[in-house]
Amino acid sequence: MSGNFEVIGSRAARKDAPNKSTGKAQYIEDIKFPGELAGALLQSPHAHAKILNIDTSKAQALPGVVAVITARDVPAVKYGVSPARYDENLFAVDRVRYVGDEIAAVAAEDLTTAQKAVELIEVEYEPLPVLLSVDQATAEGAPWIHEEFPDNICAQVEQEFGDVEAAFADCDLVQEGSFFSKRQDGAFIEPNQCVALMGHDGVLTLHSSTQVPHYVQRTVAMVTGLNMSQVRVVKPYVGGGFGPKASATPIDLSASFLAMKTGRPVRMAYTREQVFLFSRARHGFIHKMKIGAKKDGTLMALDHQATLEGGAYSSFGIATVYYAGSLLGGPYKLPNMRYHGLRVFTNKPACGAQRGHGGVIARALFEQQLDIIAEKLGMDPIELRLKNMMETGDVTCNDLAMSSLGMRECIEAVKNGSGWDEKKGKLPPGKGIGMACGFFVSGAGYPIYRSETYHCTIMIKADEDGGGVTVYTASAEIGQGSDTAMAMIAAEAVGIPYEQVRIKSGDTDFGIDLGAYSSRTTLMTGHATKEAGDNLKAMILEVLAQELGIGQERLDIKNGLVKISGAPVDFTAIRTGYIKEHRGWQDQPQGDELTFREAARLAYLRRGTLVATGKYKPPVLGGKYKGAAVGTSPAYGCSAQVAEVSVDFETGQIKVERITDAHDCGQAVNLTSVEAQMQGSVSMGLGEALFEEVKFDAQGRILNASLGEYHIPTVMDMPETKCIVVESGEPNGPFGAKEVGEGAIMPTIPAILNAVRNATGLVLEETPLTPERVYLALKRHKGA
Amino acid sequence: MLLPTFDYYRPAGLPEALSLLAEMGEDARPLAGGTDLLVNLKLKKAAPKALLDLGSLEELKGNRTDDGKVSLGALNTASRLASGGPEVPGLLSLGAGALGSPQVRNRATLGGNLVTARPAADICLPLLALGATAVLAGPQGEREVPLDGYFQGPGYTVKQPGEILTRVLVGAPRPGVGGGYQKLGLRQAMEIALVNVAVYLELEGDGETVALARVALGAVAPVPMLSPGAAQALQGTPAGEKIFTEAAEAAAADAKPIDDHRGSAAYRRDMVRTLTLRALRQALSQAQGSKEARS
Ligand SMILES: Cc1cc2nc3c(=O)[nH]c(=O)nc-3n(C[C@H](O)[C@H](O)[C@H](O)COP(=O)(O)OP(=O)(O)OC[C@H]3O[C@@H](n4cnc5c(N)ncnc54)[C@H](O)[C@@H]3O)c2cc1C
Repeated sequence: MSGNFEVIGSRAARKDAPNKSTGKAQYIEDIKFPGELAGALLQSPHAHAKILNIDTSKAQALPGVVAVITARDVPAVKYGVSPARYDENLFAVDRVRYVGDEIAAVAAEDLTTAQKAVELIEVEYEPLPVLLSVDQATAEGAPWIHEEFPDNICAQVEQEFGDVEAAFADCDLVQEGSFFSKRQDGAFIEPNQCVALMGHDGVLTLHSSTQVPHYVQRTVAMVTGLNMSQVRVVKPYVGGGFGPKASATPIDLSASFLAMKTGRPVRMAYTREQVFLFSRARHGFIHKMKIGAKKDGTLMALDHQATLEGGAYSSFGIATVYYAGSLLGGPYKLPNMRYHGLRVFTNKPACGAQRGHGGVIARALFEQQLDIIAEKLGMDPIELRLKNMMETGDVTCNDLAMSSLGMRECIEAVKNGSGWDEKKGKLPPGKGIGMACGFFVSGAGYPIYRSETYHCTIMIKADEDGGGVTVYTASAEIGQGSDTAMAMIAAEAVGIPYEQVRIKSGDTDFGIDLGAYSSRTTLMTGHATKEAGDNLKAMILEVLAQELGIGQERLDIKNGLVKISGAPVDFTAIRTGYIKEHRGWQDQPQGDELTFREAARLAYLRRGTLVATGKYKPPVLGGKYKGAAVGTSPAYGCSAQVAEVSVDFETGQIKVERITDAHDCGQAVNLTSVEAQMQGSVSMGLGEALFEEVKFDAQGRILNASLGEYHIPTVMDMPETKCIVVESGEPNGPFGAKEVGEGAIMPTIPAILNAVRNATGLVLEETPLTPERVYLALKRHKGA
Repeated sequence: MLLPTFDYYRPAGLPEALSLLAEMGEDARPLAGGTDLLVNLKLKKAAPKALLDLGSLEELKGNRTDDGKVSLGALNTASRLASGGPEVPGLLSLGAGALGSPQVRNRATLGGNLVTARPAADICLPLLALGATAVLAGPQGEREVPLDGYFQGPGYTVKQPGEILTRVLVGAPRPGVGGGYQKLGLRQAMEIALVNVAVYLELEGDGETVALARVALGAVAPVPMLSPGAAQALQGTPAGEKIFTEAAEAAAADAKPIDDHRGSAAYRRDMVRTLTLRALRQALSQAQGSKEARS
């Protein structure tokens, strides 16, 4: 949109595509170190029990076992995600709180021995009452899962913006609804794995499949007692994360301790079942909403209650419970909003962050209710949304500033792209069409720990021969394409072709980067990368200007060539010097323009190695109220989707036939990557809407801890998806870019819900919409 | 998840395989595609000392038509069955094509499906409806066991540990015969059925009267089961909506579903009704269809 880019906005081939498509990409599993030990975890078979005694003597005695550690062998340091809720011990001290809670770790010469040793550890348990639901955990007299959290309340939020009661009194229509969703699993393709090595220099290096090298480094340092510079975290290629890989795992910590203790590399890996046990994925949500509107459709007030079933530990839960409220502030003008949020501990694996953090089910219910309001007021759902949507420059009642918002463009794009007007109300029985909107942060405005730290730092170094540049970043490429995006931003900023940019990422030795979460990398790391690129260009041009005896403002670099404005300038001396230095070379610079190569070489000859840096942290953002840190962001992406479904009335099966999807990402850095995020979001949203649910038995054991029994969509379930990229040009984003990674999921579930309602007349209040659930609802509906 | 250690044998022919089995007894397990066995080994649900790879046994391969009967080798993969061919009954192709995913179908075998004998197995159901007979080879020679009576419980059949399932015998495809297969799951692939139904329908020369019908129900009993009520309702009647509705009702009444985390008994029973009706319609249109119609 802002246009005139050489690299930005193109479909440049991903930097990692050749390695991934030829199988050369190295994931942790592929990286072997000499003398590795295999680690294994002992995890609790009980959902809630006292530990009376742990006897590791038989495990220690097993030949091949090198080390066994329990809570006795590690510092009693509690950790977690939010410093306000550090509630986890690496190993259970005197109590286990879910099936899977860690008790001990073993390092042995091979994995079979390590697993055998784990089985030989004898633990005496005294079972405690098991609390598996919000109702059980909040019942009168229920035992407390954590002594320090009375009544199993992990976090509670009370917020009111405007005057909700007064607004309701003024409304012509008050609509009420509720919704109940299930726990999800992230279902990333690569189970967590890590290898820890203790160097003779006293530096612990942890290779880990993570989204957040920096937070892992910090947690490992804090728990082991090493200082930050003694811990290096390296992230190789990673097979997805979606949120659950956004914090240090017990295997990261166990492998670190075992490596420190044994002096040998220690590898630990989760099986798929252990991925389910560790969880840290989407919470189960219970929402209740009351929405007030005027006759003309103007939305006036929202009263919202959310209860989150959180599992045994806090993990990201405080942020989740805040997001569940704050992410309803937009993308509609809503002058009055009250939120009551509650997160409850249960004896299940801890829930955490997952794509669309906290906001997905709140959005689902809200958008479903909007459709009902539209119907009651005799309006088309699109008309209602257009009437209320925010525009660039608007600020929500909870102080989120929409510095760019292509909401109208998104709505119109899906309306036209889906053929809404020809279909709505005109479809045959069993077919339905529905739409929904959403918005999301472009990066959390604050780090997880209170700090004035930069959120990212970048180094770009020019090759001494002038052939290209290398970007050094601690950011986390986890498959989403951040390496490609950063290389494109660097190429654009420096003014060279994309192919001349190399990138090294995911290593805490390269600087600070908070990681791949909250849809932050493109905007934040992108800013730092652009700044470093701009600086590098300036360093080179400064030398060149001096050499040519002209003002630096006359110089620029574009697509690898030096652009000189004004009167012609004689650069023969520079070219001759370069050619002399490279006598015998076949690719001497030619043509009537000076090249980047000559300029960068010259700059090196005058100044030595050229390294430019960039950094970013968001400016001071709005909101003075408690919890304002969750939801405020330098920018917001927004999106709209239309879903078309068919419903089999005799089985209850839903088939999503088509999704028309528009997303405002400010400015696409890589158009293909933006579309891929949109399609991935549709797939994940569709899975949550129709199939996905982690199920437990009465003892708190997971019934479907495998990808055979936990159903994510296959390619056969994917609808035809039309992606329309909207570019509103974000003033706070590098080259105008903002998020797409998570915001894109927001409309999927409600668009499907609304389409199913259009096909059946049913207001469904529970996901997943399994055939049985839909069938029974249809039966009740018919009977009623 | 690691595989336990085991010895690996690859016998060259059936006699060698049978004598190895006789020697090792319960310590040995035949290995076909491995899509059930290897998973169970990793899950520690089975811990045999030895695996006997059946891959070289010519006796278990290929398909032959002989005297109105088709003999299908136990090593037929689901992919092979799904792609059909003159000797493969159409109903079997439908079931095999609904199994797992292309990768799983490339490994999964007919014999493995019959021996694993899951209540919702996609190859068992069509074969049961087709009235197939299993050929079991043992130390005392071969015996033929009709599938109606072969299944004993989830994972249990009349096959003895010393026996190898070599082949399956079914009626050769012919005109006037049709099959229907319906599988209901959450998603479109990689799915164990919530309920599945296979229907075999044979019409008289008038192209209307039901000469013989079998309705096999999956995931609604400890074993793949036949619905006697549906068969009875259909037999000798003019095929059509009225009698199909009655038959579907009878199938729902015969089903013995239970509640589990995948679905409730009540829903499953209702789905038996719906799927049976749909499978019957499908079978009828196939039976009345082209003269080439194959069951
Ligand atoms: C991802 C996945 C998806 C699946 N989806 C489906 C599905 O949709 N529908 C479905 O029905 N099944 C499904 N299955 C199960 C499995 O693929 C089938 O049951 C398959 O037919 C088994 O055949 P196999 O050759 O792989 O058997 P194997 O695993 O090799 O053997 C299975 C058992 O049979 C025994 N055995 C095998 N052949 C013989 C023989 N000739 N004589 C005596 N004993 C023998 C073995 O000893 C073993 O006990 C799935 C499995 C996986 C892993």
